Amino acid sequence: MSMQISSRILRLPGDTRQLLVKWGVALLVPIVMFTFAWSGETIVNQVILGLLSPASSNYDTPSLIQAAIFILVLYATVLALSGYLVAADSGRRKTLSLWLDILVFVIVPLFLVITNGLILGMAFAAIIWVLFFVVRNRVFHAKPSAAPTSVESLMLSDVEQKSLLMSRAIAAGFWFATVFAVISLVVDLIFFFTGQLPPVLLIWVVVRTLLLPVAGYFLGRLGGLIALRRVISNQQNGNSEEVGGVDKEKQLQVLSTTRLAEEARDIVPNDLPLRSRGAQRFYLILLAAFVLFYPVLDPFLFGSGTAGRLSGYGDAGYYVILALGLNIVVGFAGLLDLGYVAFFAIGSYVWGIFGSNQFNILTGIAINPQVLSALFWPMVIVTAMIAALFGVLLGAPTLRLRGDYLAIVTLGFGEIVPIVFLELDKYTNGANGIVGVRSPAFPGVEWSTFTPVPFYYLILVLIALVIFANIRLRDSRLGRAWVAIREDEIAAASSGVNLVQTKLFAFASGAFFAGVAGAYHAAKLGGVSPDLFSFGDSVIYLAMVVIGGIGSIPGVIVGALVVYSINEFILAQLDTLAVDPSSIIHPIYNAIVQVVPGFTFGNIRNLVFGIVLVTVMIFRPEGLIPSARRRRELHHTAADGAEMGSLDPPSGSSDMEAEMHVE
Amino acid sequence: MTLLLQELVVGLSTGAIYALIALGYTMVYGIIELINFAHGDVFMIGSLISIAIFGVFGINAASQPQGLALVGLMLVACLGSMLFCALLGVVIERIAYRPLRNAPRLAPLITAIGVSLILEDIGKLWKGVSNVSFPQIFPSTTYYIGDVSISSVNILVFVVAVVLMIALQLFVSRTRTGRAMRAVAQDREAAALMGVNVDRIISITFFIGSGLAGAAGFIYGLQYGSTIFSIGLYLGLIAFTAAVLGGIGNLVGAMLGGILIGLIEAFATLIPSSILPHGGAPWHDAIIFAVLILILVFRPSGLLGQQTPEKV
Repeated sequence: MSMQISSRILRLPGDTRQLLVKWGVALLVPIVMFTFAWSGETIVNQVILGLLSPASSNYDTPSLIQAAIFILVLYATVLALSGYLVAADSGRRKTLSLWLDILVFVIVPLFLVITNGLILGMAFAAIIWVLFFVVRNRVFHAKPSAAPTSVESLMLSDVEQKSLLMSRAIAAGFWFATVFAVISLVVDLIFFFTGQLPPVLLIWVVVRTLLLPVAGYFLGRLGGLIALRRVISNQQNGNSEEVGGVDKEKQLQVLSTTRLAEEARDIVPNDLPLRSRGAQRFYLILLAAFVLFYPVLDPFLFGSGTAGRLSGYGDAGYYVILALGLNIVVGFAGLLDLGYVAFFAIGSYVWGIFGSNQFNILTGIAINPQVLSALFWPMVIVTAMIAALFGVLLGAPTLRLRGDYLAIVTLGFGEIVPIVFLELDKYTNGANGIVGVRSPAFPGVEWSTFTPVPFYYLILVLIALVIFANIRLRDSRLGRAWVAIREDEIAAASSGVNLVQTKLFAFASGAFFAGVAGAYHAAKLGGVSPDLFSFGDSVIYLAMVVIGGIGSIPGVIVGALVVYSINEFILAQLDTLAVDPSSIIHPIYNAIVQVVPGFTFGNIRNLVFGIVLVTVMIFRPEGLIPSARRRRELHHTAADGAEMGSLDPPSGSSDMEAEMHVE
Repeated sequence: MTLLLQELVVGLSTGAIYALIALGYTMVYGIIELINFAHGDVFMIGSLISIAIFGVFGINAASQPQGLALVGLMLVACLGSMLFCALLGVVIERIAYRPLRNAPRLAPLITAIGVSLILEDIGKLWKGVSNVSFPQIFPSTTYYIGDVSISSVNILVFVVAVVLMIALQLFVSRTRTGRAMRAVAQDREAAALMGVNVDRIISITFFIGSGLAGAAGFIYGLQYGSTIFSIGLYLGLIAFTAAVLGGIGNLVGAMLGGILIGLIEAFATLIPSSILPHGGAPWHDAIIFAVLILILVFRPSGLLGQQTPEKV
């Protein structure tokens, strides 16, 4: 049969002006919303006023500079993104459906976050997303499904087309910036005439209005360049590029639909430019800038209470590390570990005992507290090594067991460890736990359990290192051996994978990261006690991995954040709202209490996680953000598109099935 | 010596309860190779249901029914709890396990954990977070053999458990359905080819196993006089250990394992504080789990189980 490439790789230049309007509106609304309805404008004005007269500003110069860098990165990225998206857009996606997506996925969450704060806003947004998906799937299924039109062959971009795309990108950047500059000018003038804008800033307004279009021109060009780096070219002059292009085309033609969809994300123009790999880089830049400068931005964005929020995010961070560590054991190697909390407990206790007076009491060696704090850095490694050692000790005798027996043994281990810490009170101070655990020390940083900012940055660094290690492990020979074991132990062993050694490495690496998280946890809390580590915690860690997507690194990070938010924040927040007569939760709460006296949202934590675990396993076993491999395993046809910006035709149409078999 | 014998009595009657719960684990594992994590919580729901049934008849902690009324009440509470739990087990299987029959092994295990969490919180919302007292309607008399005291409740618990276990053994070995169950456990596909309705047999297995957990919930209440929402997970783990100790998939093994675990737990309290800090009592969980780990490491098939080579 003639090879048909599905609709996802497409071309056919639409009308440039239409594209500009389409993407211009899609990007302008959120950015204007951020600038004027939220804090963008405030941050800029504060930064300029503060830098002009440092004495009169509420903020110190370093944080103003940080805020300035963030603002620059933000707007520059958005401008470049506009160029990229216009160049990468195939014109197949209809304008209205794109705007609907932007509304649901960007504007509504932005609005909810502005009104409700970050976590609660995202939670409400998540509910709306779920509803949106349900409705959209209904609509798709209700419509008589027309098979997606197929493109006969890949269309390759020639020089002429490339230059067309480039000129579009530049036009997009320029016009987008110009319109934004004009809108800002108008708004600022209104502010000025109503007396809300200090006259000093008028100079800035003028500079900005002139500068923005120029910046837009160059950044649009930059976006276009980024887009065109990944174009399949078809040049007629016989140089090596032609071979490359044709090869690529042939390669793509023999892929299955699912693989093709993945590969096509790299190709420009793209059916789903918002989900293409290039666009994802822009999101990463935005995310990195936001996370990096968050402590400075927080007071601008969410007002008072920064310290409490930062401390909360610091806690969320060790959930992320635990999720990544457990993901190695459960996700990569497929060994169900129900006692992961044991390694976390061991890590906590190692630094807890060493980093407090307990060490002096036990050994009689007195260490200068300043030195002790500085010893945190080497001790993180030592702690993690000790945890890894216990991982090996537990693993060595038990790894011969089949999967579900292993689960029970690890569960037993997870139960034993806290009991040991509880009952060996000579060393661990028993049920009272250890108090006065020291925070790390770093030159020039004031660091204690009452300063959340250093802990925030510490956990960022730790997370970055752990993610890096995870990616390297996943892509290493060892990582492939893990996956092989997960898929089929006997086949893996037959292919020369040393089962025991490979599994031991999985256990040890998982335990290692739990040890890192434990040391951080003990230092941040300033203490440890045995009741912090129970089977319930192990289950919560498992929930993070399952919800996020077993084996997927970005997935488990999101899973950890979701679980943290539900566990530590949302349920408590709902309880506060429930007793507030003016909230919408209040009548619902009252109705429930009529039936179930003693109901509180904090009480149903396990119920929520239980329902989530069951529904995820039954309806979306690959998790929120599945790893590519698992997605392919579980959905042979095209992905069902639960991610941003997907308006793919419904999957499973007959010609796609046919293509599968061709492969 | 008296102390040892005394602990033997305690061990036998708690062991009987463990054995009843362990049977549910072992039956389900034997048939679909799933560790039914929710089983312990079904047991917990069973003990709460018994209290609720007593409540319907206006029985509270102070009531002292006599004669026929007593026997009738106990029967109604026990059978009611069994029936409710049995249906609960079937519903759980239908919702959480059946859709995943052909999924990777981890999947149903994770839903089982999820169901366990759900049941636990239902118990918590229903009866609160503290101990719930269980009406002690069975007249408690203490008999002495030498210096060893045996209470009437201990005897009742042991007798009920043994009767149920014998009934189960007869059911599985003598009836047509029991034969079908054994066939499905041996080879699901072959059984299906021989005309066994596999789904129905699995449902029946859950029905019986969960029913036994309901009975265990009832006699647990009689024995200890109180129950709590979190007991399910804890006792479930112990019972699972018992099932593994006896050889999972093996009914007689589960009974034997339950009694043995009960005895280990009882004798553990005799360990003096010179060996373990604070004596053996606070350590008994750790000891049980250590036993579990040791068995799994050195004899994964348990005491009575058969070594099954890994199927390719």
